[in-house]
This record gives sequence, structure tokens and C-alpha cells, in this order.
Amino acid sequence: MIRIYIDEQKCIGAGHCVRSAPDVFDQREDDGIVVLLTGEAPDEQAPRLKKAVELCPAQAIRIETTE
Amino acid sequence: MCPVRLWNGKRAWLVTRHEDIRAVLSDDARFSGAMANPDFPAITPARVMVDRNERAFVGMDNPAHDAYRRLFTREFSVRRMQALAPAIAAIAEGLLDDLEQSGPPADLVPALAVKFPSLVMSALFGSPYEDHEFIIRCAVARHGLTQSAADAGTKARELAAYVRRLIDAKEADPGDDMVSRIIEEHVKPGRLSRDDFAEIGAMILRAGHDTTTNMIGMGTLLLLQNGEMRRRLAADPALIEGAVDELLRYVSPVQFSPRRVALEDVEIGGVTIPKGEGLFMLLASANRDQAMFARPDTLDAGRDASRHLAFGYGIHQCLGQMLARVELRIVFETILRRLPGLRLAVPLEEIRFKHDMQIYGVHNLPVAW
Ligand code: HEM
Ligand code: SF4
Repeated sequence: MIRIYIDEQKCIGAGHCVRSAPDVFDQREDDGIVVLLTGEAPDEQAPRLKKAVELCPAQAIRIETTE
Repeated sequence: MCPVRLWNGKRAWLVTRHEDIRAVLSDDARFSGAMANPDFPAITPARVMVDRNERAFVGMDNPAHDAYRRLFTREFSVRRMQALAPAIAAIAEGLLDDLEQSGPPADLVPALAVKFPSLVMSALFGSPYEDHEFIIRCAVARHGLTQSAADAGTKARELAAYVRRLIDAKEADPGDDMVSRIIEEHVKPGRLSRDDFAEIGAMILRAGHDTTTNMIGMGTLLLLQNGEMRRRLAADPALIEGAVDELLRYVSPVQFSPRRVALEDVEIGGVTIPKGEGLFMLLASANRDQAMFARPDTLDAGRDASRHLAFGYGIHQCLGQMLARVELRIVFETILRRLPGLRLAVPLEEIRFKHDMQIYGVHNLPVAW
């Protein structure tokens, strides 16, 4: 499994994460800041999640592979 | 990393590599984007005047930047932009109707590249459409390389004053637009002053009018010059979304910006930038960096160009980028579908490129179909 962490303090609401993986990330309706729809995703999701990490301009997303 | 001497005798650095630009723009503890800093580097004397008149968050460091920007992010969220797509598509169809009725030839810059983002911004922001020429004059006074410092300063103040009046008008007579929503959500509860909103609104209007316009002009020209790419996109419109990022990578319209000033001695890309010296990010260069993009000088509709830096990087990365992406996807899709025979009506030599502007594009684009 892949565990996903976000840092709301860093997020600037650019939305790359929602574009890369709309079933994992969303933007809060009131201020556009990132929210997680799920804290974990199966390993097949790795490429999309890595892309979200890389595109996030504020380095607000971190992923960790767990057993 | 390339040292240069500026017009005022100061030394500054051109940052050219993808990796180095990302490193500078994500290190806001050591590289400041505060335009009020006297060491902030400027390409012309007019730009110094613009920087001094910049009171919106594009010219601020954190924590102030994020505090202001967060009041506006929801207006540009991915889902909000997707919801706007049908209205934006209707605007594009209407402009293509007008073009077909007036018949070829036509100059696509005024007829589409200027009108389309102006109509979209008018609907979204709430600025009356008939004011778009004034707004563009103010944007050009900021983005030019040849304007006088006096003109740059005056136009910056005029646009903020214009938005300030618009705020009063919308407060008295609200509509379904950004200005009215921000008044209700942030101004009335006291989170945002009317004067601060006027400065931010002026920034959004300038950015929303001039940049997308240039991408439509350059993007259309590139499609006309690259028959292979054009045929592929016309046959499979699902490719257009990715192609928009590839066109942004290839064109990189914003030049000599973003800029930063080193707050301490910092080593970057193998050189030490002394405290107080300025840096210019050359986004166009980063977007042709071979270490990031294979065959960087080839325009390729099939490549994953999403790591391009045409919208900048870090906390100041473009607030309007999801809007720009939706606008560009729709406008290119509509052009390819409705004008399959589109072609240049003059030889390429007669196209005037914007060598006189900090935002690259074309001044004219005469076409027939
Ligand atoms: C193709 C179109 C566009 C391009 C290439 C573009 C490019 C950029 C770039 C490079 C920056 C970073 C500036 C810096 O770091 O100094 C930026 C910032 C910004 N852009 Fe755009 N932009 C585009 C469209 C738009 C649109 C349509 C809007 C709004 C309606 C917009 C609003 C902004 C704002 C408000 C900022 C400042 C963000 C901040 O400082 O946090 N842009 N843009
Ligand atoms: S990509 Fe990063 S900055 Fe943008 S919304 Fe997602 S977490 Fe926030």
C-alpha cells in the first residue's frame, strides 16, 4: 500500500494533485486547499501519486510505501 | 547560471536549468520575491516603477503571500474551472460564428486571441466587457520593454483605481461574479480591505488578459506550421489537453520572470550567489532543458510535458493556470473543429513577433480558411 500525507499549511491550491489523481485528492470548497479523499492507495496508483508529488509546486504532498 | 550586468550597473544571475529554477523557486527562506526590496532585479527602469507600484501578493513573501492568496484559490480550483467549461465553450463558439459570418481573411489576434480571454475574464471577474481595451493598455504598460517609467507607473495606479470603483459598484449592485463573491465572503467580514482587493483585482485582470491572448496567438501559429501535430489533434481531440501543456512548454510566453533576490550567500548550480544579488528565472530555457525533456526543440503532441515551468514554480506558481488550461483546450479544439482549412494569409515574414514585450507572442495573425 501507499500512504499519503499532505501539509495544508504549505498548499497554495494550485490543483495539480486533483488533476493527477481526482479520486485521491480534492480541494476544499471554501478555500481551495488540498484535502485527502483517502489516506491510502494500492501500489498500482504509484505513478499517478508520484506525479502529484513532483508537480506540487509547494511540496505539500508526501507518499510512503508500506507493507 | 550566468552572471549578467544590468542597465543600472548591478550584477544579476540568469538561471537557465530546470533543476536550478526549481531549487530557487522552492527555497523561499533564502530567495525573496518581495518586489519592494531595493535589491530586487529589474530588466528596465519602467519595471522598477512597476515593482514599486506592486501591492498585490505576487510581490510578497510568506506569510503575507499565502494569507492573501488563500482568499482567492477557491475561485480558481480545478473543479470550479471544470464547471465553467460549458460557458467558456459557448463564448468560443460565438466568436467562431462571428468569424465565419464576416468571412476570410481575418486577423486572429483581435478577432479571437484578444476577445476570447477578455470575454471569459469579464464573465468570471465581473468587469464590463467594454473596458477590456483599457485593461489591456494597462497590462501592456506593465509587460512592455519599451514603455516609459512614467507610463508604467500611471497605468498601474489607474488599473487599481478602476478596480476600486468596480468594487463600490458591485457592493451596491452585486452580480454572479468574482468581485461580488469576494466582497460577500472576505470584504464584508473584514478579512480583506477594499484597497487590498483593488490591488489584487488589478493583478488578476492584467494576468488574465495578456497571457492567454499570447498563448492563443502563438499556439495557433504553431499548429498552422506543424501539419502533423494539427492532423493528430483534429483526429483525436482527447489529445488536446496534453498538447496544451506541450505548447506552453514550447512557447513559454513569460520572459525575464519570475525574479528573486538572495537573502544570504547561497550555492546553487555550482556557483555562490552573494547576498543581495538578483536572479532571473529563464523559464523558456528550463522548458528546453535536455536533462528534463528529450528532443526539447521538437514540438510533440504525444509527450508528457506536465513538468514544464511555463507557469512558474513554488508559492507564486500561477494562480490562474487551471483557467488558462481550460481556455486553451477549448479554443484550440473549437478552431480545429470549425476551421479545418485554416491557413496563414500572409508569408511568415509578415508576422510581427513580440520582441518588444516581456510576454512573448504575436502582434498580428492574418488568416484565411
Ligand atoms: C497562458 C497563460 C498564463 C501564463 C503562461 C501565466 C504565467 C504565470 C507565471 C510564470 C507566473 C509566476 C510569476 C512569478 O513567479 O513571478 C504567474 C503568476 C500569476 N498568474 Fe498567471 N499565467 C497565465 C494565465 C493567468 C490567468 C488566466 C490568470 C488569472 C485569471 C493568472 C493569474 C496569475 C496570478 C494572480 C499570479 C500571481 C500568483 C502568486 O504570486 O501567488 N495567470 N502566471
Ligand atoms: S498540488 Fe500541492 S499546492 Fe496544489 S492543491 Fe495539491 S497539494 Fe495544494
